[in-house]
Amino acid sequence: MTEEKKPEERKKRKTATEAASKIGPIVKATIGGTVRAREEGKPIAYSFICCCYDEIIRTMDIVPVWTENYAGVCGAKRDAQRFLERAEAENFSRSLCTYALCGLGFDAWREELGEMPPESPWGGQARPDMMLGSGQILCDPRNKWFQAAQRYMPDVPVYDVGLPWPPYEDDYDYREVQGYYVKYIVEELKGLVQFLEKHTGRKMDWDRLSELVDLADRTWNLIWETYELRRAVPTPMGTGDAMNTMVPIVFMMGTQEAYDFFKELNDELKHKIANKEGVIPDEKYRLIWGGGLPSWFALTDFNYFNSKGAVFPVETTYRMVEAIYNFDIDLSKITDPLEHIAWRWVKFWTYWYDRAKKRPGSHPDVERLIQYIEDYKIDGIVMHEAFSCRSWHVGLIWQLNLLKKVYRDIPSLILESDIVDISSYNEADTKARIDAFIDTLEAVKSKGR
Amino acid sequence: MPEEAAGRGLAAADRYYQDYGSRARELKRQGKKILGYLCAFVPVEIITAAGFVPFRIKGDVNEPITKADTEMETIVCPLVRSCFDISLKGNYEFLDGIVIPHACDSICRTYDVWKYSLHLPYSHFINMPHGTGKPSLDFYQAVLGTFRTSLSRFAGREISDRELTQAIKLYNQNRAKVRELYGLRKASPPLISGTEVARVLIAAMSIPVEESIKMLGDVIEEVRQRGGVPARKSARIMVVGAQVDSVAFIELIENSGAWVVADDLCPGAREFFSDVTVTADPIEGIAERYLRKVKCGRTYREMKGNYEEYLEDRFGHMSRMIEDFKVDGVVLYIYKYCDPFGFEVPQIKSYIESKGTPVLYLEDEYSMSTIGRLRTRIQAFLELLGSK
Repeated sequence: MTEEKKPEERKKRKTATEAASKIGPIVKATIGGTVRAREEGKPIAYSFICCCYDEIIRTMDIVPVWTENYAGVCGAKRDAQRFLERAEAENFSRSLCTYALCGLGFDAWREELGEMPPESPWGGQARPDMMLGSGQILCDPRNKWFQAAQRYMPDVPVYDVGLPWPPYEDDYDYREVQGYYVKYIVEELKGLVQFLEKHTGRKMDWDRLSELVDLADRTWNLIWETYELRRAVPTPMGTGDAMNTMVPIVFMMGTQEAYDFFKELNDELKHKIANKEGVIPDEKYRLIWGGGLPSWFALTDFNYFNSKGAVFPVETTYRMVEAIYNFDIDLSKITDPLEHIAWRWVKFWTYWYDRAKKRPGSHPDVERLIQYIEDYKIDGIVMHEAFSCRSWHVGLIWQLNLLKKVYRDIPSLILESDIVDISSYNEADTKARIDAFIDTLEAVKSKGR
Repeated sequence: MPEEAAGRGLAAADRYYQDYGSRARELKRQGKKILGYLCAFVPVEIITAAGFVPFRIKGDVNEPITKADTEMETIVCPLVRSCFDISLKGNYEFLDGIVIPHACDSICRTYDVWKYSLHLPYSHFINMPHGTGKPSLDFYQAVLGTFRTSLSRFAGREISDRELTQAIKLYNQNRAKVRELYGLRKASPPLISGTEVARVLIAAMSIPVEESIKMLGDVIEEVRQRGGVPARKSARIMVVGAQVDSVAFIELIENSGAWVVADDLCPGAREFFSDVTVTADPIEGIAERYLRKVKCGRTYREMKGNYEEYLEDRFGHMSRMIEDFKVDGVVLYIYKYCDPFGFEVPQIKSYIESKGTPVLYLEDEYSMSTIGRLRTRIQAFLELLGSK
């Protein structure tokens, strides 16, 4: 029986920062908290990260269950296979998003049993009262997953928030269309508030929402400033740790805890920089994690890079903020909280557009890579292609090709595996590819000497 | 005249199908501009109104994907990869531009790859929303307004409401012809095979709408007049899936002893069974049709009523077709890496089965190399139907 398979025990990964080492317990406590919240009758919503509704659900004291997070936890604990297999038995293709498959397999099993599946990681995923999907340009599973989950929970309503952003085009400036994008997002968020009010019986406290929106703005700025500290040589924090510190960014936004976490991390990094304390004592190669979600079951690969003298001072993945004060509009003047959220969203996704227009043939995604390569003194790029996710893992090859064309040739490596499905991972092969990449980096460095 | 070279009716369809793009190539030589597009969610009415010829890019199941892998990840839906591969190989060298809609991740996340790799004079992304509520409809109208402006710039002239209305009427006529053609499949045995219908519809994607109307009319007349009684076969099958732009799979079913009499496919019933309402502002009618009337997994239909009513809203058109076309069994034919349809498989399958019609679910890779495996599954399914 696949349901009796036990996860492979894993050693705890070594982090460079104290702050990152605190994340595991935080996530465990949060997931445990959702299970308790269910028992206490608090309203629970299945939620996706980066969907503009963080401050809204926090204001209304709705408990989010971050379904992608739970799948990631199952993956990290190497205990996702039984849920993936369960989904497959339900006729979901194994080629679909494995976050979703893990979640759907879990839901199908929990609903069948009427209780959590045996030995569910960290107590299990609580049954929701509502599910908040999202229609974006980003990810089909965000509007298909919860719809599919209704097969197991037909009584649980779904609200799907439309959250598009203007595309990057040659023949018009995004500012020509941004107004109707913002208007649409505001309408969608208004609809969400009505939906939540209807299903919780609670009223939105608009003043409180404005406070949390302001708190989120300040947190965005603080995160950006904190991550910019990683430019230091040696860098005090790498992408391995950032795969932990993404938790306050995407699962805790709009809370004081997220702000306080980054204040503490900021202090810690400044202290490390003052003491010239890097991720590793002798940095040889500075790399960017230039695209793709990590394999949650193989985060120790970052330590393997470290053992070869390579560090990751910067990544594009989960750096879902820009400094608000760098936007081309003054967000503080937009006092309506929903409008404020909508403008922040549109300005985030279009942030690199102007820069791309200045370099013939370039593209915003590539401009972002170029900026980070220069700011963080990068020697090489590593990306990860997760087979089950088209959202973040399509266009990586093309970006590297374009980077070479409009900027310069820089050593690159695309690792191939998945976010959750460990059967796609080959540790020996991955290490061999990393070794070969390190050889390339060394050869390039030697030429430059 | 195109029909002199291509013949008429089924012969013309066969010729356009076999030499896909030949008519567009001729028109290009005559000075027309050809805009390629992916998926049924590009409002071809606007392209036609602007004076361009819309040309649906299709893949090739017989051609191994080789060149695409240098720019596009293998985790993209194999149909899109095949389309891109043969575009890179120069099959559609006549294109002046490309229009890509927010259809699915495999299509929309590769927009930049297409745009930067093909280097065409024109490109445009239609940012269609997922939702169907009033805010989504208003937003989509604005998006189509941007498309209209963008095309006007490329055309160097305004696109008038009158031209849009004319185009709408033409495409509605075209759709009416397809529905008339489908009517010939209701007879038992059907007057036209599923393979023939698929060939006609695929051919129609590659020619101007006026010529498509004419070709469909000729096909209908030819089929009505042709002599002989079609062979009796064991079962009447409906195929449900995404874009099936080769006759290979339909032919496989029919060569296994069944008729394919109905579908929910592109090209197929999904895109031809709903018209654009002629409205004072033509963009309004176009937006309404593409967002709300075309029922596809890529669009999120908000839940109204209880769960059973929701399934009825999303899949009821399939069960009506099963009844209208006296379907014995449904083949759910889904490509690997297809998120919009992949997530719907359990719901579609159980919904149709709950109405008493057996369903065979097949996942495929858009390649002739899988035909042998599929044949075995289909033969077993047909045997199952025969034993009922």
